[in-house]
Amino acid sequence: MSVVIPADQAAPGSVPASGLTARAGLGDRGFRWLTLAAGLLVLVILVLIAVSTSQQASQWFSTEGLKIFGTKWDPATNKFGATPFIYGTAITGVIALVMAVPVSVGIALLLTEVVPYRFARPIVYVVDLLAVVPSVVWGLWGILVFAPWIQHTYASIGSGVNGVPVLGNLFGPPTSGPSFFTAGIILAFMITPIVTSLSREVIATVPTIDREGAYALGATRWEMIRGVVWPHSQGGVVGSVLLGLGRAVGETIAAALVIGSSPEITSHLFATGYSMPAVIANQFGEASGVFKSALLGLGVLLFAFTIIINVIARGAVERSTRRMRGA
Amino acid sequence: MQRLRVQQVTTAALAIVVSGFSLAACSSSGSGGSGGSSGPSGTLNASGSSFQLLFQQAAIQQFRTIQPNVTVNYGGGGSGKGRSDLAAGTVNFAGSDSPIPSTETANFAGKTVLYFPVVIGPITMSYNLPGVTSLKLTPTVIADIFQAKIKTWNDPAIKAINPGVTLPSTHITLAVRADSSGTTQNFSLFLMTAAPSVWKLGSSSTISWPSGAQAGSGNGGVAQIVHATPGAIGYVDYADAKAAGLTFASVQNKAGQYIVPSTTAASAAAAGVTVAPDLTFAAVWAPGATAYPITYQSWDLVYQKQSSASTAKALKAYLGYLLGAGQKLLPALNYAPLPASIDAKAKAQLSKIG
Amino acid sequence: MAVAPQQQRADLREPAGWRRTKNRIATVLMVLSFVVVIIPLGFVLYTTIAKGASAITGSFLTSPIPSVVEPVNVGGIWPAILGTLEITALATVIAVPLGVLGAVYLNEYGGNNWLSRFIGFMADVMTGVPSIIMGLFIYSIWVLHFGYSGLAGALALGALMLPIVIRSSYEMLRLVPDSLRQGSYALGASKSRVTLTVVLPAAVGGIVSGALLAVARAAGETAPLLFVILGGLTTGNANVFHGANIALPMLIFQNASSPYPGAQARGWGAALTLIAIAFILMIAARVVTARFARYAR
Repeated sequence: MSVVIPADQAAPGSVPASGLTARAGLGDRGFRWLTLAAGLLVLVILVLIAVSTSQQASQWFSTEGLKIFGTKWDPATNKFGATPFIYGTAITGVIALVMAVPVSVGIALLLTEVVPYRFARPIVYVVDLLAVVPSVVWGLWGILVFAPWIQHTYASIGSGVNGVPVLGNLFGPPTSGPSFFTAGIILAFMITPIVTSLSREVIATVPTIDREGAYALGATRWEMIRGVVWPHSQGGVVGSVLLGLGRAVGETIAAALVIGSSPEITSHLFATGYSMPAVIANQFGEASGVFKSALLGLGVLLFAFTIIINVIARGAVERSTRRMRGA
Repeated sequence: MQRLRVQQVTTAALAIVVSGFSLAACSSSGSGGSGGSSGPSGTLNASGSSFQLLFQQAAIQQFRTIQPNVTVNYGGGGSGKGRSDLAAGTVNFAGSDSPIPSTETANFAGKTVLYFPVVIGPITMSYNLPGVTSLKLTPTVIADIFQAKIKTWNDPAIKAINPGVTLPSTHITLAVRADSSGTTQNFSLFLMTAAPSVWKLGSSSTISWPSGAQAGSGNGGVAQIVHATPGAIGYVDYADAKAAGLTFASVQNKAGQYIVPSTTAASAAAAGVTVAPDLTFAAVWAPGATAYPITYQSWDLVYQKQSSASTAKALKAYLGYLLGAGQKLLPALNYAPLPASIDAKAKAQLSKIG
Repeated sequence: MAVAPQQQRADLREPAGWRRTKNRIATVLMVLSFVVVIIPLGFVLYTTIAKGASAITGSFLTSPIPSVVEPVNVGGIWPAILGTLEITALATVIAVPLGVLGAVYLNEYGGNNWLSRFIGFMADVMTGVPSIIMGLFIYSIWVLHFGYSGLAGALALGALMLPIVIRSSYEMLRLVPDSLRQGSYALGASKSRVTLTVVLPAAVGGIVSGALLAVARAAGETAPLLFVILGGLTTGNANVFHGANIALPMLIFQNASSPYPGAQARGWGAALTLIAIAFILMIAARVVTARFARYAR
């Protein structure tokens, strides 16, 4: 393929130079603006969502004031406190992450470091299969098969730790099949493919030279992973974890089916609970007036929540990358 | 050479996709029909009450054979969604289990909404007690059960109205709706009307049930909980309860009789209601010796003034079918047809659409 | 310097003691994580196949949607299959190019300036928007003005896909070694040429991976569609830009929790169909990408 040095397309009158100092051509500038527009589109959509949702939620904010953070949600008596849902979303998100991230990174490492290339394909397909199960099927399987089955496990654990100081509060009775913990587990299954797939792609780009260098120095595979793979790919892995968190926090139907639909704040992880997307999905169809405004307000709160989480996560990553670079 | 092939393949694929979409966009919407001036034609979009969903689906299927040029899409989604869709103008008619509440009347300001009652149905008190085949309940007892004041099946209050029935000491598990619904609204309205001194949780499409209640999605979800949990009791639409094979209790009505839910008992309830001039009414706690007390109804809401004559024609044709030949479909679906007097009034109102 | 009389063979075994044990434990944990994932997947697939396989026949896949009470041998799910295919395809066509272009801006042009960091941050925030809010948003800005349509559904799904595509493409583009870019610049290529002919093909495997995940998610979403495409259809709507539509996830949700056995079988049959369609598409996309990637290398 012959190489063409682009002719100089600078403004007339300027000294024609080699293509390296020429002004970018029209097509090149057009491409730049196109990509900028695409990037700005994200901002535009997000601003539109934030504005339109806040507008419809303003009725709730203005009528309730600070009571929006109340702990009781009872539309029949016009009480719209959001805290049970903030709590539920946070708890299920944490449970999902705690379970999914180690498993996902483990599989990603398995695919890139342990398994020979020709066996990697089927494993990738299995992870893909996990991704194509629709959220509604996860929810239905969760409520029809998983929750009734795991109810017995919860009951035995619950009676076992009943009375024990911390464990009793976390895992003691009341227990129920549909619960915070079940929702967390189902969400973990759902976010595993995205974290795995992305982490795998990121880890695969670690230069082979670095890997071989570590081995040449006598490192075991685990030491090589810790010393070479992790520093190189940690930014990308955190990016994929944030994607997974976003999915976990925003998942609507699966959570609505298995979380138990009971707006209560309780430390018992095996008890029924509620989350923001779940309550919006369940109650929006019949809501009107302040009720509707309150449900949309939950969406606005979820926005704020996601922003805070992302700020914290990004900050943590930057601090640790700085440390790594300095080391 | 390979890049050229990649470019060729990509261009070809893009061309196929783009032409596919433009073909689809240019082709007339298949459901439109050629809009002849002879018969009604067009597409009607509707959303709302899921109580009506079964009836609408069966009616749409049959209506197609009578008027093939009219396509009706009934999307369900809940009475509230139906009402707000109608207010926004995105649907032609809305199914609603209750009249427009005061909080929403502002959305319809300046427009007249016509109520067409279309279907009546009982709400059962379905329970799961192996060995107990008949159970009697009164509104006060139901209100206490659903507020967790009565916690076990062998509570003296239940035993008192069921002499001769051996009730186990099983804990009562409440099966309720996770999603907001017109069924919940009418069930709670019944409790508020029939046991006002006892029932404290109000009447709304969403009730704050006592903790420990198991929530299911849709009537089917509640039915499934009752079916799978010994000691459970829940409020389930009659059609869904029958399809799920549940056992239901007989409930004491206003006249003091214990009535088993059935389509005849529901029709008897509807026959005894006072109908307002705009055809709204409440069938819960209806008078009548054979009336089933927890009966509810559903309307199709339409604007009196339609923007296009063909839409008005199609609406009149379809609603006319629902009120006429469509009523015959109801018993097979385990719903109750409208009493003749209400049906006649509704049919008379059809001419107002235009 | 005396040479050792015998060459000592390099000791290629793992080091003894704690280091070896740690290594073994790590390997076992990695394998265990895969096993942990296979088990629920197996159960879900088993449940779906057990409940839905009996419904799948040729006529099931091509017949119009019947009323909920009909037994499973009456009617089928064709309108929903058509709806899912056309809405997801349109959403992909909208979201993937925009997402990749956005990631290109963030990585190639934006560098570390405040705008690209802000956009990247906002893209992450956008992944956390609940799917139902996305549906309500499209309802209020599109459906209220233009009515129900498959296009509205595609917009809602595309908006869900966009941040995933941006973030994953960005991560992949970031990892393309600068040496590739600099080599192209050295040969005199313009920035757009470098990006289109060198950087994107180098990252195409990862970009396609991220895009596939976004598509798989979109194909399986129910909540946003509930508000923007209406559903309730009995016959297919081939026009994705006009008129109400229906999709497989909505049908699954409506039917699988119904007490009528015909509806349940139809719902699970639809679930099986959706999983099969999405899986075949994913495999096809991976195979095609692998083929092009081989050429690129």
